[in-house]
Amino acid sequence: MILDTVVTAETPEGMVLELRPAGLSARFYAFALDWAIRLALLQATAVTITLMGGLGVAFWLILIFALEWFYPVVFELTAAAATPGKRVFGLKVVMDNGLPVTPASSLSRNLLRAADFLPFAYGFAIFSMLLRRDCKRLGDLAAATLVVHQPRTVPRIARDNDILPIAPSMPLVPAHQAAVIALAARVPTLTAERLDELAALAAKVSGDSGRSGPHVTRRVLGVAQWVLGRRS
Amino acid sequence: MTPLQFEELYQSDWDELQATLNLMLGRTAGISVTRSTFSSARVATLYRRTCGHLALARSRCYPSYLIERLEELTAEAHQVIYQRREFGRLWLKQIVAVDFPVAVRTNLFFVAVAAAVFLIPAIVTGVVMYERPELILSMVSAETAASFQEMYSPTADSIGRTRTASTDWMMFGLYIRNNIGVAFQCFAGGLFAGLGALFFLAYNGAFAGALAGFLTERGLSSTFYSFVATHSAFELTAIVLSGAAGLKIGFALVAPGRLLRLQALVQATQECAVLLYGVIVMLLVAAAVEAFWSSAAWLPASVKYGTAAVCWTAVFAYFSMQGRRAN
Repeated sequence: MILDTVVTAETPEGMVLELRPAGLSARFYAFALDWAIRLALLQATAVTITLMGGLGVAFWLILIFALEWFYPVVFELTAAAATPGKRVFGLKVVMDNGLPVTPASSLSRNLLRAADFLPFAYGFAIFSMLLRRDCKRLGDLAAATLVVHQPRTVPRIARDNDILPIAPSMPLVPAHQAAVIALAARVPTLTAERLDELAALAAKVSGDSGRSGPHVTRRVLGVAQWVLGRRS
Repeated sequence: MTPLQFEELYQSDWDELQATLNLMLGRTAGISVTRSTFSSARVATLYRRTCGHLALARSRCYPSYLIERLEELTAEAHQVIYQRREFGRLWLKQIVAVDFPVAVRTNLFFVAVAAAVFLIPAIVTGVVMYERPELILSMVSAETAASFQEMYSPTADSIGRTRTASTDWMMFGLYIRNNIGVAFQCFAGGLFAGLGALFFLAYNGAFAGALAGFLTERGLSSTFYSFVATHSAFELTAIVLSGAAGLKIGFALVAPGRLLRLQALVQATQECAVLLYGVIVMLLVAAAVEAFWSSAAWLPASVKYGTAAVCWTAVFAYFSMQGRRAN
């Protein structure tokens, strides 16, 4: 689809992974949260530091340095491959071929943050992310990494014994099958009226073109059950 | 086979794979697989089998929820199975003993350019400041110039320490925070066609040269040079090396050769990683030496110059000889 920003990557097993790059807003929220966490950590330690004198100040300066440059690296190399902020907003860092991020790439993308930050307030990063379909900042470009949305769990549909399976009245190509099943999966989240409206759009599959109403909806859902594999 | 039959037939495989992944990722949800029944070979088998199921499900146009579930499962398994665990002792040894010095030698061109861009402004401003020390005021304020003089005066009980810093430990923190940041800037600046790296190298070179020229003219050369001689073996080399890494990625963008610019950039960045590992370690060493050894006023200058000579020789010997046999 033209609007879709999906990046596909093929694995050695011949699977095609679909990666969904995270856009500017999601990454901004994650960054803001990480920033707040770091700030809170520095504030909290500042209290103990005042009691420790020179050694404490040294520790604090080293902590500032470590948080500034290595906070993202350390978290990106854990199993979650995301800083706490990214994790909260369901993001993670991967290589752009779908593999887990490597230490070398994680280090480079975070050191190149200094270039992304220029000319001020992450100007180049924002510029690059808005221009590119895969929303990479400069560090991501050089390190061949990608910030993606964690795949969300798909709503499932179960056998519904109240609804009789109905054979579709026309051959259904995979995309159409998927659409009918997706409609059935959304039943719990829709109001009855909206469901009827949507089912009316798909009424052709059960041979009810041009009609609408709860009866037609049941027949369309019946086709969904048939496509699932129920025959009686 | 209908989707439901397919799901019933292979459900147990998928559940087992999911449970194993949960165990490997430290999650507790789902059916429990205990460590005793866990085997890597089993994970690989289940993973390949599930990949096969996914291909079947796609080619048979099974419902999207089934395909998406299998996609999700295989994608997660893929992430776990291909996770790189490279931080072992062997990895560390390989980098220190072979990869880092070899990387420096293979990128000798960039190292030489970076060294020249750092040293030439340093020498020029050094000579200028020595001839006309009042020009230091065009670079820093009068107070800063005065504090430099104070920091390196022979009567100071600890050399190179700012008046606000009370201990060596505090200076250690300051050096880590500032100096390593400078080196990282030199690298990151390379992303702008190398211009940023050139600028930061020249700027820091000019500043260091100006300071040296100014303090020499003021007659503080004995404290200043004995202070900088030792740790500069690590610090200046590391800054030059990170500048060289920056120049390398900048050069890849300007002259990508037979690759696309983006491919050339990615390749250069990957090759720079080992340089960066080395640079970080060198800068940590430099900060420790600077804070605890260079600043010690009670050490006679001759001891410091002796150590400095050993350090410089060791650094040059390391970069020119180490790892030749392994390669």
